[in-house]
Formats: sequence, C-alpha cells, structure tokens
Amino acid sequence: MTETRPMSRSSMSRSARTDLAISLMLIAAAIALPFLVDSRYILGQIVLALFYATIASQWNLLFGFSGIFSLAQMAIFAFGGYATAMLCFYFGWNVWAALVPGALGAVLFSLVVGLACLRLTGVYVALLTLAIAQTMYLLIVTDTECFVMVGSVCRQFTGGAVGFARFGDLGTRALLRAQWLVGNYAIIAVLFALTMVFTYAIVKSPIGLAFRALKDNPGYAVARGVNRFQAQLLVFGISAFFTGLAGGFYAAHFQAIGPGVLSMSQLMFIIAIVVVGGVGTFWGPLVGTVVLVLADELMRESGEFRTLGLGLIIALSVVLMPKGLVGRFGDVIDWLGRRRASPDSKPAASSIVQSPTPAGK
Amino acid sequence: MTDVLMAILVAGFTSGALYALATVGLSLVWGSMGMLNMAHAAMLTLGGYVAFTVITSLGLPVAIGFAGAIVAGALAGAILYFAIVRNLLQNDKSTFEANVMIATVGIGIALENAILLTYGGQPLKQPVSIAGALRLGPLTLPWQNLLIIAVVVVMMVVVSAALGRTRMGRAIRATAQNRDAAQLMGVAVNRVYLQVLMLSGALAGICGVMVSSMTQLSPPLGNDPMLKAFIMCVVAGLGNLPGAIAAALGLALLESFVQYALGARWGFPSLLFVVIAVLIWRPSGLFGHAEIRRM
Repeated sequence: MTETRPMSRSSMSRSARTDLAISLMLIAAAIALPFLVDSRYILGQIVLALFYATIASQWNLLFGFSGIFSLAQMAIFAFGGYATAMLCFYFGWNVWAALVPGALGAVLFSLVVGLACLRLTGVYVALLTLAIAQTMYLLIVTDTECFVMVGSVCRQFTGGAVGFARFGDLGTRALLRAQWLVGNYAIIAVLFALTMVFTYAIVKSPIGLAFRALKDNPGYAVARGVNRFQAQLLVFGISAFFTGLAGGFYAAHFQAIGPGVLSMSQLMFIIAIVVVGGVGTFWGPLVGTVVLVLADELMRESGEFRTLGLGLIIALSVVLMPKGLVGRFGDVIDWLGRRRASPDSKPAASSIVQSPTPAGK
Repeated sequence: MTDVLMAILVAGFTSGALYALATVGLSLVWGSMGMLNMAHAAMLTLGGYVAFTVITSLGLPVAIGFAGAIVAGALAGAILYFAIVRNLLQNDKSTFEANVMIATVGIGIALENAILLTYGGQPLKQPVSIAGALRLGPLTLPWQNLLIIAVVVVMMVVVSAALGRTRMGRAIRATAQNRDAAQLMGVAVNRVYLQVLMLSGALAGICGVMVSSMTQLSPPLGNDPMLKAFIMCVVAGLGNLPGAIAAALGLALLESFVQYALGARWGFPSLLFVVIAVLIWRPSGLFGHAEIRRM
C-alpha cells in the first residue's frame, strides 16, 4: 500500500477516471440490455444476478474493505426480506412503503448481531455470526405454532418452512403488463447502481479510510485514534441497510420469501462471488457475479455436479488467485506497463525508497 | 423423576463426549497452525460413510470399519494439506487465516456433495451399534452410549499421550507456541502441519462413526455437531484443549436439559445465548487469556 503513496495524486485521479469510464460503459450496457435480450428466462436470471451482485458488494464492503469476517450476510438479507414481507402480509402495507422500514429493521438486527459479535475479532466473528444465522434458520423452519388462520390454513408467525407469498409486488405488472419483467429489471438495476455509488463514496471517504486502516493494521489504526468497535459497528450497519433493502426488493420481485435464502449454499455462492472476483476490490463482486452466474448456468447442464463444481471453484480460486480475477487482471496490466516502461524504470524504484517517510501522514 | 434425570444426564454426557471429540479435532488444528478447518464437518461425514462401506458392502468386521474410518480421515487431512494448506502458507501470512477458511469451506461443500452423489441422499443405518442396555438397579444405561463415552475417553487419552509424551507431540506443541522459534530449533514445521491435519482427520473419522451410530448416516451428518463444536471452541477459546472438553460437556448437559424442559427446538438457540452472554463478560473465552499480539 505504502509504495504507491508518492505518486498518489496522479494515480488516484487516474483510477477514479477508470472507475468513471467503467461505470459509464456499464450504464450504457444496462440500458441497452433489455432491447438486446428477448428471452424472459435470461432476463430473469440477470435480475437474480443483480441481487447477488448487490449482496456480494456489501459483503465485500464488510470483509474486503473492513476485515470483518461476517457469515450473517444472508441472515441480514433474509431479515430485510422477511420484515418487508411481514409488514405487507400482516398490516396490508404497500410493498414500496414497506421497503425502507424493512431495511431499517435489518440495520437494527445487524446492530444487535454486531453488539454481540464485534467485540471479538477474526475467525471468532465468523463462527459466532454463522451460529446466529443458523439459529435464525432453525427457528424459522421449526416454527409450527399457529399465529393466524388464513382461510382454513394455519399460518405461523415467521411463515414456517414455507415462508410468505402473495403479499403484493412492485406494481410493474399492473403498469407494464407483459413487459413487467423489464420494469423490475430497471428497478433492480437502479438499486444495484445506487448501492455501488454509495459503496464507492463510503470507501473513498475518511471513514472508509478508517475501515481500511482497521483491516490493514488494527494496532496502528487504534493508536491513531480510530475506535475499532464503533467504526466496525458503523460499517456493519451501513452494509446491513443495503443488504436489507436488497432483501425487501428480492421478496417483492419474486413475491415470495422463504427460509431457503438462509441456506448454507446461498451464503457460499455470495462468498464465492467475492473470492473469485477479488476480495477488497471495488469491481470484484460484479466480475465475480458475471463469472459465477455464467459458470452456474453452464453447470446446470450437468445438473447434480453443480454444488461440487462450485465448492472446487471456491477452493481453487483461493489457492490460485488470492486476489481474485480483478487482482490477476491488475497484475497483467502492471506487467505490461513495466515491460513498456522498462528503459526508464527509475521513478518506480525511487518511489519505493521514498515510501516510509510520508506513510504516517 | 430420577429416571428422567438419569436419561437427561446420559444423553447429555453422550453428546458432550461427541462434541468434545469434534471440538478437540478443530481446536488442535487451530492451536498449532492458526487454521480454522471448515471442512471438518465433511471429514466427519466421510468417516461415517467409509465405516459403513467397509462393514456393510465389503462385509468386513466392525474393527476394520473403525480402522477404515481412521485411515480415511487421516488421508483426507493429508490431501487437504498437500492441495490447499501448503500452497496457502507460501502466500502472505496475514491473509492465511481468512483464505484457508474460505478454501476449506469450498472443500467441505465439494466433499459433502461428492458423498451425496456417491451414496444418495436417503439416510442409511450405521452398522456400528449395539442393542440393549446395562441395568444397574434402577438405572438403565444403553450400551451404545457407554460405548461412545468409552471410545471418546480412550481417544482423549491417546491424543493427550501423543501430544505430551512423544517426539511428534513435542514438535506440535513447540510449533503451537512459536512457529518461528520451533523452525529455528530444527523442527520441520511443514511436517508438523501435515501430522496435525492427519491426526485431526483421524479424530474426525472416529467422531463421524460415533455420531452416525447415534442417529443415521446422511450427507449433512457432520454439520450439526460441527456447528456446536464451533461455538464450544469460541466459549473455551480456540486452541485450548482441556477447556474445549470442559465446555463441550457443560454445554451438552445444558442443551439436553433445555431440550427436555422447552422442547428440542430451543436447544441450540439457548446454547447460543449462553455463549454470547459469556463472550460479553469475557471476550477471549472462558479459559482463554487475553492475548497480547504484536500487530
């Protein structure tokens, strides 16, 4: 990290320009997409992929940028989805009105989880958050007590093993009729774009630097006056807001939510996305989503080997490319750049020598 | 009343023994290498299925089935070392903890799924089981539970003897205390890692046979004891073997009391609440002491 410091001004603006160019291209692609894709199936899978990318970007904010190894990501997602669904189901709210309260509920839930877990560090956080997520799953699945009677059917408070369905939708069916899926695609794409913009702003802001400092060198960061517990609780809450919001939109898009989203394989898929794409890189989750959803579709042909393949992909990509595809891509660019600039390699060398002095700033 | 209490105690001690075996396998690897093995659950399952195959399909005696489970677990540990751990150790040390956890999650999923594809999802009966019970006056002690407790006690004695009395054990403890110093004193640290993973794999194999003999064989068999072993490790402080055993027994007894009083559904959640309460009171675990780490 330190050796880029002396040339930070020029490289920072260059990386910001690259990010801007990538985002503009992505926005253009996102607008063009519904005109190019005819198949409902493919568009549906793309919407699903956008959900994965949103959740993965928030897990990346937690783990990649802040070093919090939380395995409660899907639990927070499910909490947002369930809260939205239950507000609509029990109180007859409109879905749009229930989305933000649902997300705020997820934030509250994440703060409780954070209060319990963030006094710990490293793998202890992972173990405890995993246990909390599994407890939530078990309590929902084994819920058999009648809460309300719907017609002649008994409904559990948490929806039990079936979950909730038919509590309303995003209103696109009434508005766009046959083209409702395009409408939902547009909504979810905007959600994803907003999430990425906020994540970018957080990562580049002073508080984002504090998160990263806590990850890179906790002792030094704390000595410089960063409150570890407060800062980590804050990033936990921020990421929970977008994760919970995505959960609410997920429930509204599929008009259903059940305990299946809490399953281990869903969590693993999110982790795999971030690991394959590149932990701690801004575009990593998006790249990972594209690669893994494509791989998943290809493996669908071989049906039963899907989970096996996914597990091996996770393990292999950790071993073979610890910085993910984005990191590997960066290595290639660096290598090309160094090859081109090999005659006058002086600036690079001097920047490394200079690095220790301004690092404290 | 006394027979209900007795039944709860027997169930609690049996599951406590099983959890202790699972926890020690995890804790051993963590303590000596700083690695959390998320594939441990799948290795448990592997042991159970290998014993099943050796005894039922090949028709060999139960003892050989046991040996098969031990060998399979140790082999799985060795493969894990050569395929994953050795490569990750070459990278930056600060990323090892998280990377190895994610990689073993992947291996665990793949292994569990491979077992599912080989044997199918329907539950199978583990042939390592004894019917009947020992009657001591008013007490009824099922032989199966006694067998499990006996096997676990024997394994604990074997492990503590291996760690405390052998050359290998001394090397493992030295590596756990200070990897660099051990290496400078001529301990082949890489071989120690291989040995620890094989030992922990063998423990997982036995544990899998025992767990499946209480219930049935199914691919997600290892997940439930593993999840409980995780939070027991957290309570005891990872890497603390006697603490792990004490936490396993205590929490298992608590679990069986809660399950009797409130229903099976609340067993695990109540454990979790106790664990969180303990951690708020003592963040480094009941038996762990606050670690001073150079950043």
